[in-house]
Amino acid sequence: MSGFEVGTQLRDLVRTLTLVDLVAYAGSTWDWNRLHYDGAEVAERGLPGPVVDGQMFGALLAEQVQDEAGPRCRIRRMGFRYNAMVFAGETVTVHGEVESVGDDGVIRVAQRITTDAVGNGGEAKTAVKGAWCEFEVLG
Amino acid sequence: MSDLISPLTDELLSWVGRTVTYTAPEPVGAAAIRYFARAVGDDNPIYTDVEAALSAGYRDVVAPPTWVAETVQYMDAGRDADGYAGHTWPLPIPTGYKTVRGGNTYELLGPVHPDTRLVVTWVLESITEKRRMIFCESLVTYADTDGTVLATNRDSIIYVPPVEP
Repeated sequence: MSGFEVGTQLRDLVRTLTLVDLVAYAGSTWDWNRLHYDGAEVAERGLPGPVVDGQMFGALLAEQVQDEAGPRCRIRRMGFRYNAMVFAGETVTVHGEVESVGDDGVIRVAQRITTDAVGNGGEAKTAVKGAWCEFEVLG
Repeated sequence: MSDLISPLTDELLSWVGRTVTYTAPEPVGAAAIRYFARAVGDDNPIYTDVEAALSAGYRDVVAPPTWVAETVQYMDAGRDADGYAGHTWPLPIPTGYKTVRGGNTYELLGPVHPDTRLVVTWVLESITEKRRMIFCESLVTYADTDGTVLATNRDSIIYVPPVEP
């Protein structure tokens, strides 16, 4: 019914996260930590740039699933672990693959988020690993 | 030498089991939902268009699934030295440790609408140590003012010791 089978690849979600995106996200979540926008502060901490708020990746993981499953998708559970910091200007890609389709209609997707080598000084990295999302599609 | 000394002091462990509840000063509001959707670049119309939300089976526009756990709008606290205005446990962490996020696990039980007024409870569930890193796990419960639980969030913070020369 849903069109999801074990092994189905979700369309990649690709997003370049500029400083403007980080500022907008900080404002919208009421999280004004300088780490996310203050160049002098992050330089003092020895970081290459303002840090993407890791929790934003939860929104991107959910967006990928909902874009694929449509407006009657209901995400029930999801989880993820932070593996590497992402800095302003980097491009992230959300990858997803169907891991299981339950008799109860719950579909489980394995996900991860990587950065490309271009926006990261020539080094690709896995920003979020071990991510998973369980959802249903209402009839 | 310092490898032999556990950073888990009695004072630190006494924080396990602490609970704090925050009640949002006002309902979520449609503008807050639209602001977040625009900020993360998610153009799904169920966040901003009532008709789209109704046809998707909701009674009104909804917040993006993870919004409730990402925002600290429900608090009305002052900012700390870093500018942060959300919940933190003022734990007695040894000097020099850096704070990093470990991960999150969300259980999403019901939609958050503009008229939802959040009651958010943080419980410090455990403090453990591995290779001198301190792991702090909290369970956050997001409910409406009528007590209906809308979501839970297992939130992991890691305190990383300074690198010894």
